Amino acid sequence: MVWKATPQPSELRLKNQGKLLVVSFEDGRSFDLEAEYLRVESPSAEVQGHSPMEKRTVGGKKNVAILRIEPVGNYAVKITFDDGHDTGIYAWDTFVELGSRKDEIWGAYLDALKAKGLSREA
Amino acid sequence: VKTIPGVVGAMVALTAEKKGGGMEAPVPPRPVSPAAPRPAPQAAAPRPAPHAPASHSQGKRGVPGIAAIIAVASGKGGVGKSTTSANLALALAVLGLKVGLLDADIYGPSVPKLFGLGGTRPELRDNKLVPIAKDGLSLMSIGFLVDEEAPMIWRGPMVMSAITQLLRDVAWGELDVMVVDMPPGTGDAQLTMAQNVPLSGAVIVSTPQDLALLDARRGIAMFERVSVPILGLVENMSYFICPNCGTRHDIFAHGGARKEAEKMQVPFLGEVPLEMAIRETSDGGRPIAATEPAGPHAKIYRDIATAIRDRLSLNAGPARPQLRIVVE
Repeated sequence: MVWKATPQPSELRLKNQGKLLVVSFEDGRSFDLEAEYLRVESPSAEVQGHSPMEKRTVGGKKNVAILRIEPVGNYAVKITFDDGHDTGIYAWDTFVELGSRKDEIWGAYLDALKAKGLSREA
Repeated sequence: VKTIPGVVGAMVALTAEKKGGGMEAPVPPRPVSPAAPRPAPQAAAPRPAPHAPASHSQGKRGVPGIAAIIAVASGKGGVGKSTTSANLALALAVLGLKVGLLDADIYGPSVPKLFGLGGTRPELRDNKLVPIAKDGLSLMSIGFLVDEEAPMIWRGPMVMSAITQLLRDVAWGELDVMVVDMPPGTGDAQLTMAQNVPLSGAVIVSTPQDLALLDARRGIAMFERVSVPILGLVENMSYFICPNCGTRHDIFAHGGARKEAEKMQVPFLGEVPLEMAIRETSDGGRPIAATEPAGPHAKIYRDIATAIRDRLSLNAGPARPQLRIVVE
């Protein structure tokens, strides 16, 4: 059995005053991930809950920005947002997932906002 | 506590409280000497990058002064991790490297016994513990801070905190490699190491038995999950040669680890036989690589150490560029 190698990023570039994170991988792929997107899809249990049914829809994050990115071992980074959220540990395959399925995941988020009467505006 | 019937005395072992359990708070900026022989890492988040040497993974919050940190793990207990770590560390030192050995088994520290240092207490200098120097190694273990017979009845967060302190609050100085003797399993200790430091690699120790290999497989999978390179698999207690008649007995089977390594496409580092002398010297506090450096068993450990050293330099080479974190 061969263990699938986790894609390794070559660069994380924070742009637009912390509003955009560009993640580039060693295999050449690159993803533009907005701070708002990363915030509302944070892997933290504060957002994801402990099961898919417990996932929270977080609104009002249109203007959130990333303050700090710190490495976690070899396999992830911890992102601190300017609203105080800092419990999300973003592993490399999380970035691949959020990047490659962005339209789908973002679309689902917007639908959830609408269904719950929430808004992107703070 | 004295009022509890039957209690005659109490021994209290404490660790300093650190915010957030084992997760390291951002390292405060250290004065970085511009004349440092090792180049500083390429990129920084909005705070000064930690002073760390050139090895590829060390740009990410490594321990200042330590070029490579390798974990010796197993998944299963009792396969000989501590004996292997001790002899490997000695063998690496014989190759000319500056080596430290960190005993990360908080519940069952072995390093003091393995090196015959029972009762030795480390000094404190400038708020840091000074590692014990023995046989050319720098050693640290929770076993140096408590009585040999004291059980560490601790919850996970305290274990995490202790390991982090043994790593960062010890005056390790400049080391080429730190060997970390991990406890068995895939829990708090392993996660703490994987999250708090960029491990340069992991050596997995197993006996040839299927039962042990199952756990070794899990150990390998765990490290791959957290992007720690596998330096290789060591088959311990590989075979026994009867000292009387010279017949070989494969008491725990033989060769399973090599097959497993092939199957999982990780390097196979070597076979260490079941040998009275290895066990006796371990119990006696003088590991065989130090007692009989010219002997056949020390040679086995030296060969494994050479393979590890070569693989570490490979991983650290220009072929594997560091991750850049850039803030525009």
